[in-house]
Amino acid sequence: MSHTPNAASGHADASVMIRLEELTKRFPGQSRSAVESLTLDILEGEIVVLVGPSGCGKTTTMKMINRIIEPSSGRIILNGEDVTSKNPDHLRRRIGYVIQQTGLFPHMTIGENVATVPKLLGWDAKRVSARVDELLTMVNMDPAEYRGRYPKQLSGGQQQRVGVARALGADPEVMLMDEPFGAIDPITRDRLQNEFLRLQSEVRKTIVFVTHDIDEAIKMGDRIAILQEGSRIAQYDTPERILTAPANDFVKDFIGAGASLKRLNLSRVRDIELGTWDTVTTADSAETAHSTLSSSEYSAVLVLDTDGRPVRWVTADDLRRIDGRSLDQIGSAPQAVVEPRATLSDALNELVAARYAVTVVVDEQGRYLGVIDFDQLNEAIRSMRSTAVAEARSEFAAHDSSQEGPS
Amino acid sequence: MNFGEFLIRRADDMLELGLAHAAVVGGAVLISTLIGVALGVLTYQSERARETVLAITGSFLTIPSFALFILLLGPLGLGWKPVLFALVLYGLMPVVRNTITGLRGVDPAVVESAKGMGLSRRQLLLRIELPLAWPVIITGVRVTTLVLLGIAAIGAIVNGPGYGELIFTGLARVGTPVAVNMVLAGAVGVMILAVVFDLAFYTAKRLTTSRGIR
Repeated sequence: MSHTPNAASGHADASVMIRLEELTKRFPGQSRSAVESLTLDILEGEIVVLVGPSGCGKTTTMKMINRIIEPSSGRIILNGEDVTSKNPDHLRRRIGYVIQQTGLFPHMTIGENVATVPKLLGWDAKRVSARVDELLTMVNMDPAEYRGRYPKQLSGGQQQRVGVARALGADPEVMLMDEPFGAIDPITRDRLQNEFLRLQSEVRKTIVFVTHDIDEAIKMGDRIAILQEGSRIAQYDTPERILTAPANDFVKDFIGAGASLKRLNLSRVRDIELGTWDTVTTADSAETAHSTLSSSEYSAVLVLDTDGRPVRWVTADDLRRIDGRSLDQIGSAPQAVVEPRATLSDALNELVAARYAVTVVVDEQGRYLGVIDFDQLNEAIRSMRSTAVAEARSEFAAHDSSQEGPS
Repeated sequence: MNFGEFLIRRADDMLELGLAHAAVVGGAVLISTLIGVALGVLTYQSERARETVLAITGSFLTIPSFALFILLLGPLGLGWKPVLFALVLYGLMPVVRNTITGLRGVDPAVVESAKGMGLSRRQLLLRIELPLAWPVIITGVRVTTLVLLGIAAIGAIVNGPGYGELIFTGLARVGTPVAVNMVLAGAVGVMILAVVFDLAFYTAKRLTTSRGIR
């Protein structure tokens, strides 16, 4: 499967949902093209994020896909069919469209808004109403409560949920999203992003997502196209590869200084090998703890209860002052505890604040699995990087020189 | 005879004249609205077209009504016809202006998302733009109505229907005791009609405007 735009190589044809060929947009009275001969394949079921500085042409590019902006030249191929000169209204009913300002119809109820496209397609009333309820439920809004309300009665976050539900109206093959969470406060935005990713894991749409925020791009994208002025592709690749093997200085600059930290968002605790720590259980005696500690390279032992859950950190000092108490009554409670589904970024966050420079990993029942320390995080980053570099090398070698590389 | 007694004695007349006045103004408002909204819809997207149509409909309002009624005598004769025609011309401008203002005031994001969902130009206009512009348009229609109620009274100069008849008859009898009562009755009749129409528009605006944009 090609990671670079390569319309000529046909091997991934079956799964290409959107193909842009030499797409160009020149606005009258402007010397430079807003989009200059862009060629891009977008695979079925993927979220492709177009990201770049303002004015790079990312929004223009997206709006040419549903021909809100008509291209000056080039072709748009949707699911194998050239739609460059098809009836734009019919084309648009097949493509969900979500914009930053939501664009909900203020004079219609939430239910009527969501019903827009199914009604345009002539569905009967019963089917439309069932679909509206299904969609509102999908975006976590109780249909009975919200169906009859008007947009102005909802918060910004709720309005954008409705925007997403409306775009999914007639189950389109493709969705275009123009900074959909851009005007929403950070906490709600994070929640909407997560909800949307969960929704996408169910509906598996082909999505073109425009943002100027690289962090959002990394979070949301299966693949990211970093665009330079004129919508020239600086790099089109998975988030992992963009972070670990930026194609050029433009990409490096755009990712910014925190690339290594951002990389930690991409891996989860369960993906890396956990370290071990010396443990005793609450059933053990102070002497056992003492001998474990004295043969340990660490300054504290982790005390587990009889179910294997971490309960205390105990140091040699604590053991000296035990005064006949049991192990779970001395020492300090473990704080930096994460589950395997936490990202490495979460683990690092805990680690920085932890007493013994280590994050304890427990399973869903709270049972001890292992630990993560700085060395393991460091190792994880290095191995991500070397994997990406190796992949890049082998791919470069596999493709012949006619392959157009990222410029 | 005081004004109160005058009104009671002429109650049948007052009612009949009132209905005729309301009918000619109502008809003119209806026609002005149809033409004015159509002109607004046709021109709001192009700056040159909308400036032109506003200049022309605005210039109608500068023609003195007295002169216009008399000028229309030739082609349309006496009676309600010249009055209706003149009123339609006078009524266009507020409707056209408010239609343009209303349509241009629709949130571009709403229009873009409607297009993005595949509404045709016609569907966009009928389902989104006009309903959203409606409160502004109906305000224009209301202004037109008030303007026309006053102008219609002058229509009596060409034997037009309505309260103008009382005013002009009063004018012809200036100096007699009944003259003041007649002019007063004509003026009060127009004012009462204005109040009735205004109430009707207030109700119509509430009933025809979506709760979501009230």
